[in-house]
Amino acid sequence: MIEVKNLTKKFGPHTAVNNISFVVNDGEIVGFLGPNGAGKTTTMNMMTGFISSTEGSVKINGFDILENPIKAKQHLGYLPDVPPVYGDMTVSEYLHFVCDLKKVKKSDRNFMITDILNTTQLKDVKDRLIKNLSKGYRQRVGLAQALVGNPDVLILDEPTSGLDPKQIIEMRELIKKLGKKHTVILSSHILNEVSEICDKIIIINKGKIVSCQSTKELINLAGNSSQLVTIKGDPYLAIQKLKQWSLIKDVIINNDNQDGTYELKVIGDENSDIREIIFATMADATISILMLKPVTSSLEDIFLKIISGSYDAENDEELSIVFSDTLINEQENNKEANS
Amino acid sequence: MLSIYKKELRTYFTTITGYGFLGFFTLITGYFFVSQNIVLANSNYNDTLAGSMIMFLILVPVLTMRLFAEETRQKTDQLLFSAPVSIQDIVGGKFLSALTLYVVGILITLIFPLTLSRFTQMDWGLTLVGLLGYFMMGACLISVGLFISILTDNQIVAAASTFAVVFLLLMMDNIASSAPISVTSSIVFILAIVLLISATIYNSTKNIFVSGIFVLLSLIFTGLIYLFKPTLFDGVIISSLGWFSVLNRFENFYMGIISVSDLVYYITFSLAFLYLSINVIEKRRWS
Repeated sequence: MIEVKNLTKKFGPHTAVNNISFVVNDGEIVGFLGPNGAGKTTTMNMMTGFISSTEGSVKINGFDILENPIKAKQHLGYLPDVPPVYGDMTVSEYLHFVCDLKKVKKSDRNFMITDILNTTQLKDVKDRLIKNLSKGYRQRVGLAQALVGNPDVLILDEPTSGLDPKQIIEMRELIKKLGKKHTVILSSHILNEVSEICDKIIIINKGKIVSCQSTKELINLAGNSSQLVTIKGDPYLAIQKLKQWSLIKDVIINNDNQDGTYELKVIGDENSDIREIIFATMADATISILMLKPVTSSLEDIFLKIISGSYDAENDEELSIVFSDTLINEQENNKEANS
Repeated sequence: MLSIYKKELRTYFTTITGYGFLGFFTLITGYFFVSQNIVLANSNYNDTLAGSMIMFLILVPVLTMRLFAEETRQKTDQLLFSAPVSIQDIVGGKFLSALTLYVVGILITLIFPLTLSRFTQMDWGLTLVGLLGYFMMGACLISVGLFISILTDNQIVAAASTFAVVFLLLMMDNIASSAPISVTSSIVFILAIVLLISATIYNSTKNIFVSGIFVLLSLIFTGLIYLFKPTLFDGVIISSLGWFSVLNRFENFYMGIISVSDLVYYITFSLAFLYLSINVIEKRRWS
């Protein structure tokens, strides 16, 4: 369990992290998302006690990281943005050193290291010098290091950066697996990755939290009330029939495919599922539906909107306001696109 | 502390540093042994020790340049400082590992006095006291080198700075003896020190009031002494610079005298720099 309260970090006149508060419960995987320079790494460095905070507190399993650092750090595994590995050690020497550093019992060490080598798939390279390993392997050694001592809380700073696509997938699977036993916070500037792994997403920009909600909520925010329908048949009949429903606000021909099929955009009421209605209506009119897909603004769009929303918003404005603003903007954009 | 200590010691011997250090240490000591003891048919091993001190200029940087600079450069300091060990343990472990290598060097070069003892009547008491002083002085210089290594993330810069500082410390006697002794120069010197300290106070507290009061009080105090007992100012520069002369303190050991004040001096000197090191790391975390 991690409790972050009013965390602030100032580097001289520059405020890197501004009054951040959030709680991560046991067994949760939380994604920490933000553009470069948003304050992700600074926050993580403060959470692990590598640097101190200007104000506010971080508690790991109830232990304050500044007042009770040794106890707090015992529950902590940290993979910084650059894996902290010693080039002149072999992988297994390195892990033995970390065991020593984290005061793992001597009797448990061999078992633990074998276990970690298995989970991180480092067994083949365990006797090689770390400086001869590729970036992907080093990243995994960094992760292995964080796992030593079986900490309750894992803090991973951009765990997939610098990996190839296959390794990224493997790393994601690994983190998902780890999330079953550990509380995980990971940072990233890649949205898809975070939405795929995490239960909760915290979006941070310019040192402030601009959004903190579950992945589902965030995806819902994208909205699926509008549908793109490809039909074969008379589009005007379809429009006429569809418009009889109160839930359907507007139907427009998005594209004439010139082969007897048309792409219609059906705009439904907010928070309503109009897919069944469309199906039933089309079935009545004996118009075949060739394709039906929701018009979602992608997560990237939401992300960008939240970020730019927070950028425009005054410092004192509440999150909810930022949010409703972006929603309204989104709707207006849609309307403009429609008309 | 033990984990850091073991790791550092291992790093010395998995890289060329440890072997290079020991080899060079033995070579230079051997050279001075030949020139001071064998050629001159002299049974006092302390002459070799005193002569070979010049090698600290090279050996201390070699020993200490990597300690923290490399951790900062490789970003492995993030591992150390987010692990459940205190900063004191990290600094202490690193210091002790460098000290251990130095002691190993001393132990290897013991073959020289042992060889000597086969051919002449050695004064072992004198030699052991000399070795004690030699050890203490090395410890002081290592603590200085460790401190400098924290200030930079570049080994070369650390090595060059350590070289310069060790050079100054070894030359301090010469510098002090050529310093002016007049009352005016002493007062200028004191003023410079006062300004330096007040600047440090201002830099760490950002409080112009406190540092101003410090300057004012120091000025009043200096003025009072100047009015009532100006003779106190004689040779202030020499004695204060002399305090930093680690070589000067070795003279008693060289003559076989263990004086408590010298021991306390060396221990305080080392601890002061270790303390500074811990504080610089702490300060970096807080700034």
